Amino acid sequence: MLKRFFSAVLLAAASSGAFAEARIEQAWLRAVPPVSPSMAGYFVLVNDTDQPLVLTGASAEFAGMAMLHDTSTDGEGRRSMSHLKEVTIPAGKSLSFTPGGRHLMLMKMDSVPEAGETPKVCLAFQNHADLCGAFQVRHNEP
Amino acid sequence: MNNKDGFTSAFLFRILVAGAVLLLAACSEPARELPVNTRLGGDFTLTDHNGERFSLSSLNGEVVILFFGYTHCPDICPAVLARVSQVYRNLKEQGEADRVQPVFVTFDPERDTAEHLREYLPWFKADIIGLTGDVPAIQKVAEQYGVVFIKEEGDSGGADFSHSDYIYLLDQQGRVRKLYPADFNIDEVVADVKTLL
Repeated sequence: MLKRFFSAVLLAAASSGAFAEARIEQAWLRAVPPVSPSMAGYFVLVNDTDQPLVLTGASAEFAGMAMLHDTSTDGEGRRSMSHLKEVTIPAGKSLSFTPGGRHLMLMKMDSVPEAGETPKVCLAFQNHADLCGAFQVRHNEP
Repeated sequence: MNNKDGFTSAFLFRILVAGAVLLLAACSEPARELPVNTRLGGDFTLTDHNGERFSLSSLNGEVVILFFGYTHCPDICPAVLARVSQVYRNLKEQGEADRVQPVFVTFDPERDTAEHLREYLPWFKADIIGLTGDVPAIQKVAEQYGVVFIKEEGDSGGADFSHSDYIYLLDQQGRVRKLYPADFNIDEVVADVKTLL
Protein backbone atom coordinates (compact mmCIF):
# COMPACT_ATOMS: atom_id res chain seq x y z
CA MET A 1 0.00 0.00 0.00
CA LEU A 2 2.79 2.39 1.09
CA LYS A 3 4.84 1.44 -1.97
CA ARG A 4 1.87 2.20 -4.23
CA PHE A 5 1.39 5.57 -2.50
CA PHE A 6 5.03 6.61 -3.04
CA SER A 7 4.87 5.44 -6.65
CA ALA A 8 1.82 7.64 -7.17
CA VAL A 9 3.57 10.63 -5.58
CA LEU A 10 6.65 10.09 -7.75
CA LEU A 11 4.53 9.76 -10.88
CA ALA A 12 2.60 12.93 -10.06
CA ALA A 13 5.79 14.86 -9.36
CA ALA A 14 7.39 13.66 -12.59
CA SER A 15 4.35 14.54 -14.69
CA SER A 16 4.05 17.98 -13.08
CA GLY A 17 7.63 18.76 -14.03
CA ALA A 18 8.79 19.03 -10.43
CA PHE A 19 11.98 17.18 -11.39
CA ALA A 20 12.60 19.19 -14.54
CA GLU A 21 16.01 20.77 -14.25
CA ALA A 22 15.94 22.94 -17.31
CA ARG A 23 12.90 23.94 -19.34
CA ILE A 24 11.60 26.06 -22.18
CA GLU A 25 8.86 28.55 -21.36
CA GLN A 26 6.80 31.10 -23.34
CA ALA A 27 7.84 29.51 -26.62
CA TRP A 28 6.37 30.90 -29.83
CA LEU A 29 7.11 31.42 -33.53
CA ARG A 30 6.09 34.54 -35.44
CA ALA A 31 3.57 33.67 -38.16
CA VAL A 32 4.86 34.50 -41.64
CA PRO A 33 3.52 34.07 -45.19
CA PRO A 34 3.64 30.51 -46.62
CA VAL A 35 6.23 31.64 -49.19
CA SER A 36 8.47 32.98 -46.46
CA PRO A 37 12.00 31.62 -46.55
CA SER A 38 12.49 31.84 -42.80
CA MET A 39 10.78 32.41 -39.51
CA ALA A 40 11.85 33.49 -36.05
CA GLY A 41 11.17 31.92 -32.68
CA TYR A 42 11.27 33.24 -29.15
CA PHE A 43 11.35 31.61 -25.73
CA VAL A 44 12.65 31.77 -22.20
CA LEU A 45 15.17 29.14 -21.22
CA VAL A 46 15.09 28.42 -17.50
CA ASN A 47 18.11 26.74 -15.96
CA ASP A 48 17.13 25.31 -12.59
CA THR A 49 20.09 22.95 -12.53
CA ASP A 50 23.11 23.54 -10.35
CA GLN A 51 25.41 23.82 -13.39
CA PRO A 52 25.74 26.46 -16.12
CA LEU A 53 24.04 25.31 -19.34
CA VAL A 54 25.73 25.93 -22.67
CA LEU A 55 23.15 26.34 -25.44
CA THR A 56 24.71 25.60 -28.83
CA GLY A 57 21.93 25.32 -31.38
CA ALA A 58 18.44 24.23 -32.32
CA SER A 59 16.57 21.97 -34.71
CA ALA A 60 13.06 21.42 -36.01
CA GLU A 61 11.77 18.66 -38.29
CA PHE A 62 10.17 21.12 -40.70
CA ALA A 63 13.31 23.29 -41.05
CA GLY A 64 16.45 22.22 -42.87
CA MET A 65 18.47 24.69 -40.85
CA ALA A 66 18.06 26.32 -37.46
CA MET A 67 20.36 28.82 -35.81
CA LEU A 68 20.48 31.05 -32.79
CA HIS A 69 20.94 34.70 -33.68
CA ASP A 70 21.33 37.98 -31.89
CA THR A 71 20.13 41.32 -33.23
CA SER A 72 22.18 44.29 -32.13
CA THR A 73 21.81 48.03 -32.81
CA ASP A 74 24.78 50.32 -33.45
CA GLY A 75 25.09 54.03 -32.65
CA GLU A 76 23.48 55.03 -35.96
CA GLY A 77 20.38 52.93 -35.31
CA ARG A 78 21.44 50.23 -37.75
CA ARG A 79 20.41 46.72 -36.76
CA SER A 80 22.45 43.69 -37.61
CA MET A 81 22.24 40.00 -36.91
CA SER A 82 25.01 37.77 -35.72
CA HIS A 83 25.20 34.02 -35.21
CA LEU A 84 25.24 32.96 -31.58
CA LYS A 85 27.53 29.94 -31.64
CA GLU A 86 26.95 29.30 -27.95
CA VAL A 87 25.39 31.06 -25.05
CA THR A 88 25.76 30.17 -21.37
CA ILE A 89 22.91 30.29 -18.92
CA PRO A 90 24.24 30.33 -15.35
CA ALA A 91 22.81 27.89 -12.80
CA GLY A 92 19.56 29.13 -11.33
CA LYS A 93 19.11 31.79 -14.03
CA SER A 94 17.00 32.14 -17.13
CA LEU A 95 17.67 33.68 -20.53
CA SER A 96 15.08 35.34 -22.78
CA PHE A 97 14.99 35.22 -26.55
CA THR A 98 12.75 38.13 -27.58
CA PRO A 99 11.85 40.11 -30.74
CA GLY A 100 14.57 42.56 -31.67
CA GLY A 101 17.17 40.66 -29.63
CA ARG A 102 18.28 37.07 -29.32
CA HIS A 103 16.10 34.81 -31.43
CA LEU A 104 15.82 31.40 -33.01
CA MET A 105 15.99 31.50 -36.81
CA LEU A 106 14.46 28.66 -38.83
CA MET A 107 15.40 28.36 -42.50
CA LYS A 108 15.06 26.01 -45.49
CA MET A 109 11.58 25.07 -44.34
CA ASP A 110 9.74 22.18 -46.02
CA SER A 111 6.50 23.83 -44.98
CA VAL A 112 5.71 26.94 -43.02
CA PRO A 113 3.57 26.22 -39.93
CA GLU A 114 0.48 28.40 -39.69
CA ALA A 115 -0.84 30.53 -36.85
CA GLY A 116 -2.35 28.29 -34.18
CA GLU A 117 -0.10 25.32 -34.90
CA THR A 118 2.37 24.18 -32.26
CA PRO A 119 5.34 22.52 -33.98
CA LYS A 120 8.10 20.94 -31.94
CA VAL A 121 11.45 22.70 -31.77
CA CYS A 122 14.46 21.30 -29.92
CA LEU A 123 17.35 23.15 -28.33
CA ALA A 124 20.80 21.54 -28.24
CA PHE A 125 23.38 21.93 -25.51
CA GLN A 126 27.04 21.23 -25.02
CA ASN A 127 26.44 19.70 -21.59
CA HIS A 128 22.80 18.65 -21.46
CA ALA A 129 20.42 16.47 -23.42
CA ASP A 130 18.25 18.21 -26.03
CA LEU A 131 15.27 20.11 -24.68
CA CYS A 132 12.21 20.08 -26.91
CA GLY A 133 9.06 22.13 -26.68
CA ALA A 134 5.90 23.06 -28.53
CA PHE A 135 6.31 26.52 -30.07
CA GLN A 136 2.95 28.15 -30.73
CA VAL A 137 2.76 30.01 -34.04
CA ARG A 138 1.30 33.48 -33.39
CA HIS A 139 0.73 36.73 -35.23
CA ASN A 140 1.67 38.84 -32.22
CA GLU A 141 3.78 38.64 -29.12
CA PRO A 142 2.03 36.85 -26.24
CA MET B 1 -42.14 78.71 -8.95
CA ASN B 2 -42.11 82.52 -9.38
CA ASN B 3 -40.36 84.39 -12.21
CA LYS B 4 -37.34 85.21 -10.06
CA ASP B 5 -36.75 81.55 -9.16
CA GLY B 6 -37.15 80.52 -12.82
CA PHE B 7 -34.62 83.15 -13.91
CA THR B 8 -32.12 81.99 -11.26
CA SER B 9 -32.50 78.31 -12.30
CA ALA B 10 -32.00 79.11 -15.98
CA PHE B 11 -28.98 81.25 -15.14
CA LEU B 12 -27.41 78.49 -13.02
CA PHE B 13 -28.11 75.93 -15.76
CA ARG B 14 -26.31 78.09 -18.33
CA ILE B 15 -23.34 78.52 -15.96
CA LEU B 16 -23.16 74.74 -15.49
CA VAL B 17 -23.31 74.07 -19.26
CA ALA B 18 -20.64 76.68 -19.96
CA GLY B 19 -18.46 75.17 -17.22
CA ALA B 20 -18.89 71.67 -18.66
CA VAL B 21 -17.97 72.90 -22.15
CA LEU B 22 -14.85 74.62 -20.83
CA LEU B 23 -13.88 71.50 -18.86
CA LEU B 24 -14.31 69.27 -21.92
CA ALA B 25 -12.25 71.66 -24.04
CA ALA B 26 -9.49 71.62 -21.44
CA CYS B 27 -9.50 67.82 -21.19
CA SER B 28 -9.52 66.99 -24.91
CA GLU B 29 -6.12 68.00 -26.21
CA PRO B 30 -6.37 69.25 -29.79
CA ALA B 31 -4.51 67.12 -32.36
CA ARG B 32 -1.06 68.63 -32.75
CA GLU B 33 -0.02 69.39 -36.32
CA LEU B 34 2.90 67.21 -37.34
CA PRO B 35 5.90 69.25 -38.54
CA VAL B 36 7.18 68.79 -42.09
CA ASN B 37 10.60 67.11 -42.21
CA THR B 38 12.49 69.07 -44.86
CA ARG B 39 15.70 67.04 -44.63
CA LEU B 40 14.31 63.67 -45.70
CA GLY B 41 12.10 62.35 -48.46
CA GLY B 42 11.20 63.17 -52.03
CA ASP B 43 9.71 61.45 -55.05
CA PHE B 44 11.23 58.31 -56.54
CA THR B 45 10.42 55.68 -59.13
CA LEU B 46 10.89 51.92 -58.63
CA THR B 47 9.15 48.73 -59.82
CA ASP B 48 6.03 47.57 -58.01
CA HIS B 49 4.99 44.01 -57.16
CA ASN B 50 3.12 43.79 -60.47
CA GLY B 51 6.30 44.54 -62.38
CA GLU B 52 5.10 48.04 -63.34
CA ARG B 53 7.02 51.29 -62.99
CA PHE B 54 5.78 53.05 -59.89
CA SER B 55 6.34 56.61 -58.72
CA LEU B 56 5.67 57.71 -55.18
CA SER B 57 4.06 60.88 -56.57
CA SER B 58 1.27 58.72 -58.02
CA LEU B 59 0.07 58.43 -54.40
CA ASN B 60 -0.42 62.18 -53.99
CA GLY B 61 -3.74 62.65 -52.24
CA GLU B 62 -3.07 59.64 -50.00
CA VAL B 63 -1.31 59.29 -46.68
CA VAL B 64 1.60 56.87 -47.08
CA ILE B 65 3.23 54.64 -44.48
CA LEU B 66 6.64 53.95 -46.02
CA PHE B 67 9.03 51.33 -44.67
CA PHE B 68 12.05 49.35 -45.80
CA GLY B 69 13.22 45.78 -45.24
CA TYR B 70 13.66 42.41 -46.94
CA THR B 71 11.59 39.24 -46.86
CA HIS B 72 14.48 36.95 -45.85
CA CYS B 73 14.82 38.91 -42.62
CA PRO B 74 13.21 36.72 -39.94
CA ASP B 75 13.07 38.93 -36.86
CA ILE B 76 12.52 42.70 -37.30
CA CYS B 77 10.98 42.90 -40.81
CA PRO B 78 8.03 40.50 -40.33
CA ALA B 79 7.30 42.23 -37.03
CA VAL B 80 7.25 45.65 -38.71
CA LEU B 81 5.12 44.32 -41.57
CA ALA B 82 2.67 42.89 -39.04
CA ARG B 83 2.49 46.15 -37.08
CA VAL B 84 2.05 48.37 -40.14
CA SER B 85 -0.65 45.97 -41.34
CA GLN B 86 -2.40 46.26 -37.98
CA VAL B 87 -2.37 50.06 -38.31
CA TYR B 88 -4.00 49.75 -41.74
CA ARG B 89 -6.60 47.24 -40.56
CA ASN B 90 -7.46 49.40 -37.52
CA LEU B 91 -7.98 52.38 -39.82
CA LYS B 92 -10.06 50.24 -42.16
CA GLU B 93 -12.31 49.12 -39.30
CA GLN B 94 -12.86 52.80 -38.52
CA GLY B 95 -13.64 53.58 -42.17
CA GLU B 96 -10.49 55.72 -42.45
CA ALA B 97 -8.27 53.65 -44.75
CA ASP B 98 -9.54 54.76 -48.17
CA ARG B 99 -6.78 57.30 -48.56
CA VAL B 100 -4.05 55.42 -46.67
CA GLN B 101 -1.40 53.38 -48.46
CA PRO B 102 1.34 51.22 -46.88
CA VAL B 103 4.44 50.96 -49.12
CA PHE B 104 7.26 48.45 -48.55
CA VAL B 105 10.62 48.97 -50.25
CA THR B 106 13.02 46.04 -50.33
CA PHE B 107 16.76 46.47 -50.31
CA ASP B 108 17.22 42.87 -51.42
CA PRO B 109 16.10 43.03 -55.08
CA GLU B 110 18.04 39.89 -55.97
CA ARG B 111 15.66 37.72 -53.92
CA ASP B 112 12.73 40.11 -53.49
CA THR B 113 11.63 40.15 -57.11
CA ALA B 114 8.27 41.62 -58.12
CA GLU B 115 6.93 38.08 -58.35
CA HIS B 116 8.10 37.15 -54.84
CA LEU B 117 6.68 40.36 -53.35
CA ARG B 118 3.40 39.64 -55.16
CA GLU B 119 3.23 36.26 -53.38
CA TYR B 120 4.55 37.43 -50.03
CA LEU B 121 2.74 40.69 -49.24
CA PRO B 122 -1.00 39.87 -49.68
CA TRP B 123 -0.80 37.52 -46.67
CA PHE B 124 -0.64 40.59 -44.42
CA LYS B 125 -4.12 41.71 -45.65
CA ALA B 126 -3.15 45.37 -45.71
CA ASP B 127 -3.10 46.20 -49.44
CA ILE B 128 0.67 46.81 -49.19
CA ILE B 129 2.45 48.00 -52.33
CA GLY B 130 5.81 46.23 -52.61
CA LEU B 131 8.62 48.02 -54.45
CA THR B 132 11.82 46.61 -55.85
CA GLY B 133 14.33 47.71 -58.49
CA ASP B 134 18.00 47.67 -59.28
CA VAL B 135 20.46 48.22 -56.47
CA PRO B 136 21.54 51.79 -57.48
CA ALA B 137 17.89 52.91 -57.69
CA ILE B 138 17.09 51.44 -54.26
CA GLN B 139 20.30 52.90 -52.85
CA LYS B 140 19.22 56.34 -54.10
CA VAL B 141 15.82 56.05 -52.43
CA ALA B 142 17.49 54.90 -49.22
CA GLU B 143 19.75 57.96 -49.27
CA GLN B 144 16.74 60.24 -49.79
CA TYR B 145 15.14 58.85 -46.66
CA GLY B 146 18.28 58.42 -44.58
CA VAL B 147 18.01 54.64 -44.62
CA VAL B 148 21.28 52.80 -44.09
CA PHE B 149 21.68 49.23 -45.30
CA ILE B 150 24.73 47.08 -45.78
CA LYS B 151 24.76 43.67 -47.43
CA GLU B 152 26.62 41.02 -45.49
CA GLU B 153 27.25 37.35 -46.06
CA GLY B 154 25.01 35.54 -43.61
CA ASP B 155 26.02 32.44 -41.68
CA SER B 156 23.04 30.66 -43.20
CA GLY B 157 24.58 30.79 -46.66
CA GLY B 158 22.45 33.65 -48.01
CA ALA B 159 22.90 37.37 -47.69
CA ASP B 160 21.79 39.31 -44.64
CA PHE B 161 21.46 43.04 -44.35
CA SER B 162 22.28 45.24 -41.43
CA HIS B 163 19.88 48.12 -41.74
CA SER B 164 18.08 50.98 -40.06
CA ASP B 165 14.40 50.30 -39.59
CA TYR B 166 12.49 53.55 -39.26
CA ILE B 167 8.94 53.83 -40.55
CA TYR B 168 8.02 57.05 -42.36
CA LEU B 169 4.65 58.77 -42.31
CA LEU B 170 4.12 60.85 -45.46
CA ASP B 171 1.31 63.34 -45.93
CA GLN B 172 -0.90 63.68 -49.01
CA GLN B 173 1.80 65.76 -50.72
CA GLY B 174 4.42 63.07 -50.13
CA ARG B 175 6.22 65.06 -47.43
CA VAL B 176 7.75 63.25 -44.44
CA ARG B 177 5.80 64.22 -41.35
CA LYS B 178 7.00 61.73 -38.73
CA LEU B 179 9.43 58.84 -38.19
CA TYR B 180 8.76 55.89 -35.91
CA PRO B 181 11.00 53.17 -34.51
CA ALA B 182 10.32 49.55 -35.48
CA ASP B 183 8.48 48.88 -32.21
CA PHE B 184 6.16 51.86 -32.69
CA ASN B 185 2.88 52.22 -30.85
CA ILE B 186 0.07 51.18 -33.19
CA ASP B 187 -2.51 53.55 -31.67
CA GLU B 188 -0.09 56.47 -31.98
CA VAL B 189 0.39 55.90 -35.72
CA VAL B 190 -3.36 55.44 -36.25
CA ALA B 191 -3.98 58.78 -34.49
CA ASP B 192 -1.20 60.53 -36.48
CA VAL B 193 -2.53 59.21 -39.80
CA LYS B 194 -5.97 60.63 -39.01
CA THR B 195 -4.50 64.12 -38.53
CA LEU B 196 -3.27 63.99 -42.14
CA LEU B 197 -6.50 62.80 -43.79
